[in-house]
Amino acid sequence: MKKLLNDLLRLRRGPWEMLASVLIALGVLMLMQPFSIALYTWSFVTTLTGTVMFVIVSHFPE
Amino acid sequence: MSFSVTEPSARTKWLAAVLVVGYALITIAPLLWIIATGFKSPADSIAYPPKVVFEPTLEGYVNLFTDRTRATQDMLDAAGEPKTWYERIVRAQGTVINGPSRYGERFLNSVIIGFGSTALCMILGTAAAYAFSRFRVPLKDDLLFFILSTRMMPPIAVAIPIFLMFRNLGLNDTHLGMILLYTAVNLSLSVWLLKGFIDEIPVEYEEAALIDGYTRFQAFTKVVLPQAATGIASTAIFCLIFAWNEYAFAVLLTSGTAQTAPPFIPTIIGVGGKDWPAVAAGATIFLVPVMVFTILLRKHLLRGITFGAVRK
Amino acid sequence: MSQSPIQRVAQATPEPMARRIRGLSDRTIAWIFVAPTIFLLLAVNIFPLIWTVRLSFTDFRVNRPNRDVEWVGLENYQRILTDADIWHTMQATAHFLVWTIVLQVLIGFTLAFLINKKFKGNDLWTTIIVFPMMLSPAVVGNFWTFLYQPQIGLFNYVVAFFTGADPASFSMIGDVALAPWAIVIADTWMWTPFVMLICLAGLRSIPDSIYEAAECDRASKWRQFWTITVPMVLPFLMLAVLFRGIENFKMFDLVVQLTGGGPGNTTTLTSIDLKREAFEKWRTGYSSAYAVILFVTVFGLASIYVKALNKVKQR
Repeated sequence: MKKLLNDLLRLRRGPWEMLASVLIALGVLMLMQPFSIALYTWSFVTTLTGTVMFVIVSHFPE
Repeated sequence: MSFSVTEPSARTKWLAAVLVVGYALITIAPLLWIIATGFKSPADSIAYPPKVVFEPTLEGYVNLFTDRTRATQDMLDAAGEPKTWYERIVRAQGTVINGPSRYGERFLNSVIIGFGSTALCMILGTAAAYAFSRFRVPLKDDLLFFILSTRMMPPIAVAIPIFLMFRNLGLNDTHLGMILLYTAVNLSLSVWLLKGFIDEIPVEYEEAALIDGYTRFQAFTKVVLPQAATGIASTAIFCLIFAWNEYAFAVLLTSGTAQTAPPFIPTIIGVGGKDWPAVAAGATIFLVPVMVFTILLRKHLLRGITFGAVRK
Repeated sequence: MSQSPIQRVAQATPEPMARRIRGLSDRTIAWIFVAPTIFLLLAVNIFPLIWTVRLSFTDFRVNRPNRDVEWVGLENYQRILTDADIWHTMQATAHFLVWTIVLQVLIGFTLAFLINKKFKGNDLWTTIIVFPMMLSPAVVGNFWTFLYQPQIGLFNYVVAFFTGADPASFSMIGDVALAPWAIVIADTWMWTPFVMLICLAGLRSIPDSIYEAAECDRASKWRQFWTITVPMVLPFLMLAVLFRGIENFKMFDLVVQLTGGGPGNTTTLTSIDLKREAFEKWRTGYSSAYAVILFVTVFGLASIYVKALNKVKQR
C-alpha cells in the first residue's frame, strides 16, 4: 500500500494507469447498471475523467 | 508415438473429438441451411416440417437475378413459348421477366469497393508499417494507438459527420467515397498486422542490400516486399473480407449507385411475399467466397483478429 | 551480387538523379511513408470527430439547413444523461453484452480446451467452427430471422423437437421476453469461435515443461487446471473479453437485421437508438452528443484493451 502511494506521488506510469483503468471501468458499469439513474447521469463524467487521465499518465515514465 | 505426461490418453482424445465435431456440426447447420434453401422451391422452403430432402431447383437463383411481375393467362399466352431455360422457370410460376434485378449491380459494387479499398489500403499500409517497423518515428506509440483507436469507433457515431462531410464534397453514394472510407477503416488493421510481419524480417537483409548500393527505397521494394509477401497477402484478404462484410456505413451512406450487397440482400422480396430461396441464393453467392478465403487464411486467422498481437 | 540488374539500372541512372534518390534520408522516407496514412485518418476520422464534438453543443438539424443554429451549451448532454429511455437502451445493451460474453467465454474456452487435446483432424474442425465469425453479420442476421420463424423455422423446429413444445407456439423475435435472447443466441453462434481461437493460442503458449514439473510434484489434474492452465490463459481471455465487449457495445449490423430493435424497444441497443435519432429523427446536434458519449466510452475501453494487448505481446 505504501509503495503504491509512493509510486503515485512519484508519477510512475503503472499505478496511475491502473487507477485510470479502474475509473473507466467504473464509468462503464455506472452507464449500464439498472439500479440508479443518478449513477447513470454521472457515468459519462467518470469515464471521461478516466480516459483523459489514461492518455496523460501513459506518458509518465515506467 | 512419444510417451509423455502431457500427451492426452486415447480415450480423452476420442471424447474431445466427439464433442468438438458435435459442436462443429451444430454451428455449420445454419450455413448449410442457407445453401440448401437457395436450391429449394418457395413452397419447399416454407414447408412444415422443414424439408431436408427436396427436389433441387434453380428457381431461387433465377428469381434473384430477374425482376418479374405476375401475369394473367392471356399475357402468358401472348408472350409465346419460353426461349431459354430460365424463362421456362419464371413462366412456370405464372410470372414474366421485366428485366434483370439489381443484385448483379450490387454485387459488382461490392467487388469494386472491396478490391479498390483493399488495394489502396495495402499501398498506404505497407509503407506506413515499414516506417513504423524500421525507423524512429516521433511519437510512434501514440500514433500507433491513434491508428488502432480509429478502428474501435462505433460506425454509427462516426457516420453522422462523415455523412455531412461527404454531402458537402459530393461523395455521398459514390464508389470513390466508399473506397476512401473503407480504406480509412481498414488502415488500422493493415498497419498493425503488417508491422508485425515486417518486424519478423531480419534487418540484416536490408543492411546487406544497402551496403550493396541499393537505395533505401530499393531495399524496401526489392528485399522487404518479397519477404513479406505472405503477410501482405493475408492482410489483404482480411481487409477485403471486412470491406465485403461492412453494413453500417453502407446502409447509411449509400442508397442507389454505390450500394453494396449487404444492405441489399435483406431487401430482396419476391412477387407476393418474401422469396426466401432468392434471399438464400443471394446470401450463398455472397458468403461462399468468404468461406473459401477463410480456408486460405486459416494459418493467419489469429493474427488477423488480434491486430497481430497473438502470433501462435 | 554487385552486378545485379538493379545495380546496372542504378549505374545507368544519371548521376544527379541517383544521388537525389539515394540522398533521401531515412527520416524523409519515414515521413513520406507515414504521412498518407496519417493524413487519411485525420481526414476521415479526426476531422469528423472534432466536427461531432462541435455539433454536440448546438441544436443543428440536417434536414433543416436554413434554420438558425443555436449554441445550446451542455443541454444535449444533460438531456441524454437524464433520459430514462436512453438509460433503458443502455440496460438492453448490458443484457446483450453480459450474456454474450459469459456464453462465449464458457463455450469458447471449453472448445479450445478440447481442441488442444490434439485429436486427429482438429485443424479441419477448427476451420469449420471458425466460419460464422468471418461472414457478413447483416446477411447472416437477416437469414436468422428465417431460422427463427414460428412453425417453419429450423430453430423453432429443433427446439420443439427436443422439448416437445409446438413450434408455432413461440416466436423468438416477436416475443418481448424472447427477443433479447434471440440476439444473444445469434451473436454467440457467430462469435464463440473468436474467443475459442484466442484461448487456443493461450493454451498453446503454455510450455509442456510446466505440466511435467507439476506431474513430478504429484499435483492432480484438477489442481493443474486451476493453478497452471487458467492463470496462463487469463491474459488471453482478458483480451478476448475486452474486444468482444467493445464490439458488442457498439453492435449494430447483426441486431438491426435480426430484430430491428423490436419488439417494442426490447432489443434497441445504443447504436440502433443512435441511428434512429441521427438518421430518422434527424436531431443532429442531440445525436452528436449521444455519439460523443459512446466515443468516450469506447475510447476508454480501447485504452485498456491496448494495455492488455501489450501484456499478451510480451509472452
